[in-house]
Amino acid sequence: MPVYIDVARCIGCRSCEVACQRVHGGSEHINVHFVGDFASVPIFCHHCEEASCTIACFSGALYKEGDRTAFDVEKCTGCGLCSLACPFGVVWTNKIAHKCDLCEGRAEPTCVTTCPANALSTDYELASRRARARAVRDAAQGGRR
Amino acid sequence: MIKVDASLCLGCRSCSNVCPSQNIVLTETAKQRSIHWKRCKEECDLCVEFCPAKALTLVPFDESVPEPDISFDLVACKICGSRYATEPMLRRIESALPADSQKDSEGLEWIRVCPICRRSIEAKRATQQMVLGRSRKSP
Repeated sequence: MPVYIDVARCIGCRSCEVACQRVHGGSEHINVHFVGDFASVPIFCHHCEEASCTIACFSGALYKEGDRTAFDVEKCTGCGLCSLACPFGVVWTNKIAHKCDLCEGRAEPTCVTTCPANALSTDYELASRRARARAVRDAAQGGRR
Repeated sequence: MIKVDASLCLGCRSCSNVCPSQNIVLTETAKQRSIHWKRCKEECDLCVEFCPAKALTLVPFDESVPEPDISFDLVACKICGSRYATEPMLRRIESALPADSQKDSEGLEWIRVCPICRRSIEAKRATQQMVLGRSRKSP
Protein backbone atom coordinates (compact mmCIF):
# COMPACT_ATOMS: atom_id res chain seq x y z
CA MET A 1 0.00 0.00 0.00
CA PRO A 2 1.91 3.00 -1.31
CA VAL A 3 1.32 6.48 0.09
CA TYR A 4 -1.12 8.72 -1.78
CA ILE A 5 -1.17 12.49 -1.74
CA ASP A 6 -4.04 14.97 -1.77
CA VAL A 7 -2.18 18.00 -3.17
CA ALA A 8 -5.07 20.34 -2.30
CA ARG A 9 -4.46 19.64 1.37
CA CYS A 10 -0.67 20.02 1.55
CA ILE A 11 0.30 23.16 3.49
CA GLY A 12 4.01 22.95 2.66
CA CYS A 13 5.17 22.65 6.27
CA ARG A 14 7.74 19.96 5.45
CA SER A 15 6.82 17.96 8.55
CA CYS A 16 6.87 14.83 6.40
CA GLU A 17 10.52 15.48 5.50
CA VAL A 18 11.47 15.83 9.14
CA ALA A 19 9.47 12.78 10.16
CA CYS A 20 11.09 10.72 7.41
CA GLN A 21 14.57 11.87 8.46
CA ARG A 22 13.82 11.04 12.08
CA VAL A 23 13.06 7.40 11.41
CA HIS A 24 15.66 6.87 8.66
CA GLY A 25 18.81 7.96 10.44
CA GLY A 26 18.92 11.47 9.05
CA SER A 27 18.30 10.80 5.37
CA GLU A 28 14.92 11.73 3.97
CA HIS A 29 13.08 9.92 1.21
CA ILE A 30 10.37 12.53 0.73
CA ASN A 31 10.94 15.99 -0.65
CA VAL A 32 8.45 18.88 -0.63
CA HIS A 33 8.55 20.90 -3.83
CA PHE A 34 6.95 24.32 -4.14
CA VAL A 35 5.23 25.23 -7.39
CA GLY A 36 5.24 29.02 -7.48
CA ASP A 37 2.66 30.29 -5.03
CA PHE A 38 0.11 27.71 -6.13
CA ALA A 39 0.98 24.60 -4.26
CA SER A 40 3.44 22.48 -2.39
CA VAL A 41 3.81 18.86 -3.34
CA PRO A 42 5.63 16.16 -1.40
CA ILE A 43 7.47 13.97 -3.91
CA PHE A 44 8.31 10.39 -2.97
CA CYS A 45 8.49 6.84 -4.31
CA HIS A 46 5.39 5.63 -6.19
CA HIS A 47 6.42 2.01 -5.74
CA CYS A 48 5.89 1.61 -9.51
CA GLU A 49 4.51 -1.67 -10.78
CA GLU A 50 7.29 -1.99 -13.34
CA ALA A 51 9.90 -0.11 -11.41
CA SER A 52 12.78 1.27 -13.50
CA CYS A 53 15.05 1.26 -10.46
CA THR A 54 14.67 -2.52 -10.09
CA ILE A 55 15.41 -2.97 -13.80
CA ALA A 56 18.56 -0.82 -13.54
CA CYS A 57 19.80 -2.46 -10.32
CA PHE A 58 22.35 -5.10 -11.31
CA SER A 59 22.96 -6.54 -7.85
CA GLY A 60 19.36 -7.34 -6.94
CA ALA A 61 19.34 -4.84 -4.06
CA LEU A 62 16.14 -3.27 -5.38
CA TYR A 63 13.30 -5.68 -6.04
CA LYS A 64 9.54 -5.91 -6.08
CA GLU A 65 7.90 -7.45 -3.03
CA GLY A 66 4.16 -7.37 -3.57
CA ASP A 67 3.08 -3.73 -3.96
CA ARG A 68 6.31 -2.49 -2.46
CA THR A 69 9.58 -1.68 -4.20
CA ALA A 70 11.88 -3.10 -1.55
CA PHE A 71 15.53 -2.53 -0.88
CA ASP A 72 18.17 -4.91 0.49
CA VAL A 73 20.99 -2.82 1.92
CA GLU A 74 23.33 -5.83 2.08
CA LYS A 75 23.34 -6.18 -1.71
CA CYS A 76 23.73 -2.49 -2.59
CA THR A 77 27.11 -1.36 -3.93
CA GLY A 78 26.12 2.32 -4.18
CA CYS A 79 26.80 2.43 -7.93
CA GLY A 80 24.09 5.05 -8.47
CA LEU A 81 22.34 3.49 -11.48
CA CYS A 82 18.97 3.35 -9.68
CA SER A 83 19.05 7.09 -8.95
CA LEU A 84 19.47 7.77 -12.66
CA ALA A 85 16.79 5.25 -13.64
CA CYS A 86 14.03 6.66 -11.45
CA PRO A 87 11.72 8.87 -13.59
CA PHE A 88 10.64 10.82 -10.51
CA GLY A 89 14.07 11.40 -8.98
CA VAL A 90 13.17 9.74 -5.69
CA VAL A 91 15.98 7.22 -5.29
CA TRP A 92 19.03 8.84 -3.73
CA THR A 93 22.56 7.45 -3.56
CA ASN A 94 24.87 8.49 -0.80
CA LYS A 95 27.43 5.69 -0.44
CA ILE A 96 24.44 3.37 -0.64
CA ALA A 97 21.04 3.86 -2.24
CA HIS A 98 18.15 5.01 -0.12
CA LYS A 99 14.49 5.37 -0.92
CA CYS A 100 11.04 5.16 0.65
CA ASP A 101 10.55 1.77 2.32
CA LEU A 102 7.01 2.62 3.46
CA CYS A 103 8.43 2.54 7.00
CA GLU A 104 8.85 -1.19 7.12
CA GLY A 105 7.97 -2.58 10.53
CA ARG A 106 5.63 0.27 11.43
CA ALA A 107 1.86 0.15 11.30
CA GLU A 108 1.74 3.25 9.07
CA PRO A 109 4.43 5.24 7.23
CA THR A 110 5.65 8.03 9.54
CA CYS A 111 4.99 10.77 6.96
CA VAL A 112 1.32 9.73 6.92
CA THR A 113 0.91 9.71 10.70
CA THR A 114 2.81 13.01 11.00
CA CYS A 115 1.16 15.13 8.28
CA PRO A 116 -0.84 17.75 10.22
CA ALA A 117 -3.00 18.52 7.18
CA ASN A 118 -3.95 14.90 6.46
CA ALA A 119 -2.64 15.32 2.93
CA LEU A 120 -0.95 11.91 2.94
CA SER A 121 -2.71 8.61 3.30
CA THR A 122 -2.35 4.95 2.44
CA ASP A 123 -5.96 4.81 1.32
CA TYR A 124 -6.21 5.07 -2.47
CA GLU A 125 -9.92 5.83 -2.33
CA LEU A 126 -9.64 8.61 0.24
CA ALA A 127 -8.61 11.40 -2.13
CA SER A 128 -11.39 10.64 -4.59
CA ARG A 129 -13.98 10.30 -1.79
CA ARG A 130 -12.93 13.73 -0.55
CA ALA A 131 -13.15 15.20 -4.05
CA ARG A 132 -16.67 13.80 -4.44
CA ALA A 133 -17.68 15.17 -1.04
CA ARG A 134 -16.32 18.59 -1.97
CA ALA A 135 -18.26 18.50 -5.25
CA VAL A 136 -21.48 17.61 -3.41
CA ARG A 137 -20.95 20.43 -0.90
CA ASP A 138 -20.27 22.91 -3.67
CA ALA A 139 -23.37 21.83 -5.57
CA ALA A 140 -25.53 22.14 -2.41
CA GLN A 141 -24.26 25.67 -1.93
CA GLY A 142 -25.18 26.61 -5.47
CA GLY A 143 -21.87 26.05 -7.15
CA ARG A 144 -18.38 27.11 -6.39
CA ARG A 145 -17.43 30.74 -6.75
CA MET B 1 46.15 -6.34 -9.52
CA ILE B 2 43.15 -4.88 -11.29
CA LYS B 3 42.90 -4.52 -15.05
CA VAL B 4 40.28 -2.14 -16.39
CA ASP B 5 38.57 -2.30 -19.76
CA ALA B 6 38.07 1.42 -20.35
CA SER B 7 35.57 0.77 -23.14
CA LEU B 8 33.27 -1.05 -20.71
CA CYS B 9 33.67 1.08 -17.57
CA LEU B 10 30.52 3.09 -16.75
CA GLY B 11 32.18 5.47 -14.34
CA CYS B 12 29.83 4.43 -11.54
CA ARG B 13 30.66 4.28 -7.85
CA SER B 14 30.52 0.54 -7.41
CA CYS B 15 34.17 -0.55 -7.25
CA SER B 16 35.37 2.46 -5.27
CA ASN B 17 32.57 1.83 -2.77
CA VAL B 18 33.11 -1.90 -2.26
CA CYS B 19 36.93 -1.90 -2.10
CA PRO B 20 37.80 -2.70 1.53
CA SER B 21 41.35 -1.32 1.26
CA GLN B 22 40.64 2.02 -0.44
CA ASN B 23 42.70 1.00 -3.44
CA ILE B 24 40.17 2.47 -5.82
CA VAL B 25 39.84 6.22 -5.52
CA LEU B 26 36.98 8.22 -7.00
CA THR B 27 37.32 11.98 -7.17
CA GLU B 28 34.73 14.33 -8.49
CA THR B 29 34.76 17.99 -9.44
CA ALA B 30 31.77 19.97 -10.70
CA LYS B 31 32.44 18.85 -14.26
CA GLN B 32 34.39 15.64 -14.09
CA ARG B 33 34.57 12.30 -12.31
CA SER B 34 37.88 10.44 -12.18
CA ILE B 35 38.54 6.92 -11.00
CA HIS B 36 42.02 5.74 -10.12
CA TRP B 37 42.87 2.08 -9.53
CA LYS B 38 45.99 1.66 -7.42
CA ARG B 39 48.31 -1.26 -8.01
CA CYS B 40 46.99 -3.71 -5.48
CA LYS B 41 48.35 -6.97 -4.11
CA GLU B 42 45.24 -8.06 -2.24
CA GLU B 43 43.74 -11.45 -2.93
CA CYS B 44 40.29 -9.98 -3.12
CA ASP B 45 37.91 -9.75 -6.03
CA LEU B 46 35.03 -7.72 -4.60
CA CYS B 47 35.44 -4.98 -7.22
CA VAL B 48 35.45 -7.57 -10.01
CA GLU B 49 32.39 -9.29 -8.62
CA PHE B 50 30.43 -6.06 -8.11
CA CYS B 51 31.26 -4.28 -11.36
CA PRO B 52 27.92 -3.78 -13.16
CA ALA B 53 29.70 -3.63 -16.54
CA LYS B 54 32.13 -6.52 -15.98
CA ALA B 55 34.92 -4.10 -16.86
CA LEU B 56 37.38 -5.35 -14.25
CA THR B 57 39.59 -8.44 -14.16
CA LEU B 58 42.35 -9.56 -11.82
CA VAL B 59 45.80 -9.95 -13.34
CA PRO B 60 49.13 -10.94 -11.73
CA PHE B 61 50.96 -8.10 -9.96
CA ASP B 62 53.31 -6.20 -12.26
CA GLU B 63 55.26 -3.15 -11.10
CA SER B 64 55.83 -1.92 -14.67
CA VAL B 65 52.16 -1.61 -15.60
CA PRO B 66 50.88 1.95 -15.05
CA GLU B 67 47.99 2.42 -12.66
CA PRO B 68 44.73 2.75 -14.61
CA ASP B 69 43.01 6.09 -14.44
CA ILE B 70 39.81 7.06 -16.26
CA SER B 71 38.10 10.44 -16.35
CA PHE B 72 34.52 11.07 -17.37
CA ASP B 73 33.00 14.42 -18.30
CA LEU B 74 29.75 14.68 -16.38
CA VAL B 75 26.62 15.16 -18.49
CA ALA B 76 24.64 18.39 -17.99
CA CYS B 77 20.93 18.27 -17.19
CA LYS B 78 18.82 19.35 -20.19
CA ILE B 79 16.83 21.68 -17.97
CA CYS B 80 19.00 23.21 -15.26
CA GLY B 81 22.44 22.49 -16.70
CA SER B 82 23.85 20.96 -13.52
CA ARG B 83 26.14 18.01 -14.17
CA TYR B 84 24.73 14.84 -12.70
CA ALA B 85 25.89 11.64 -14.43
CA THR B 86 28.45 10.01 -16.67
CA GLU B 87 27.50 9.37 -20.30
CA PRO B 88 28.03 5.56 -20.13
CA MET B 89 25.73 5.32 -17.09
CA LEU B 90 22.94 7.16 -18.92
CA ARG B 91 23.48 4.98 -22.02
CA ARG B 92 23.22 1.90 -19.83
CA ILE B 93 19.87 3.12 -18.41
CA GLU B 94 18.67 3.87 -21.95
CA SER B 95 19.50 0.37 -23.11
CA ALA B 96 17.97 -1.29 -20.03
CA LEU B 97 14.58 0.43 -19.93
CA PRO B 98 11.76 -0.26 -22.41
CA ALA B 99 11.83 2.36 -25.22
CA ASP B 100 8.24 3.50 -24.63
CA SER B 101 9.00 4.42 -21.03
CA GLN B 102 11.89 6.70 -21.91
CA LYS B 103 9.71 9.63 -22.95
CA ASP B 104 7.09 11.04 -20.61
CA SER B 105 3.58 12.07 -21.62
CA GLU B 106 4.93 15.35 -23.01
CA GLY B 107 7.70 13.71 -25.03
CA LEU B 108 10.47 14.72 -22.66
CA GLU B 109 13.51 12.41 -22.60
CA TRP B 110 13.61 12.34 -18.80
CA ILE B 111 16.77 10.23 -18.55
CA ARG B 112 18.67 13.32 -19.73
CA VAL B 113 17.16 15.40 -16.93
CA CYS B 114 18.68 15.48 -13.44
CA PRO B 115 16.80 13.94 -10.47
CA ILE B 116 16.05 17.35 -8.90
CA CYS B 117 14.40 18.61 -12.10
CA ARG B 118 12.53 15.29 -12.40
CA ARG B 119 10.98 15.95 -8.98
CA SER B 120 10.11 19.55 -9.94
CA ILE B 121 8.38 18.33 -13.11
CA GLU B 122 6.37 15.81 -11.10
CA ALA B 123 5.37 18.55 -8.63
CA LYS B 124 4.24 20.85 -11.45
CA ARG B 125 2.22 18.08 -13.01
CA ALA B 126 0.48 17.21 -9.75
CA THR B 127 -0.33 20.90 -9.24
CA GLN B 128 -1.77 21.23 -12.75
CA GLN B 129 -4.00 18.23 -12.09
CA MET B 130 -5.25 19.76 -8.85
CA VAL B 131 -5.97 23.12 -10.48
CA LEU B 132 -7.72 21.35 -13.34
CA GLY B 133 -9.84 19.36 -10.89
CA ARG B 134 -10.91 22.59 -9.19
CA SER B 135 -11.85 24.39 -12.38
CA ARG B 136 -13.85 21.36 -13.55
CA LYS B 137 -16.05 21.67 -10.48
CA SER B 138 -16.81 25.32 -11.10
CA PRO B 139 -20.12 25.78 -12.88
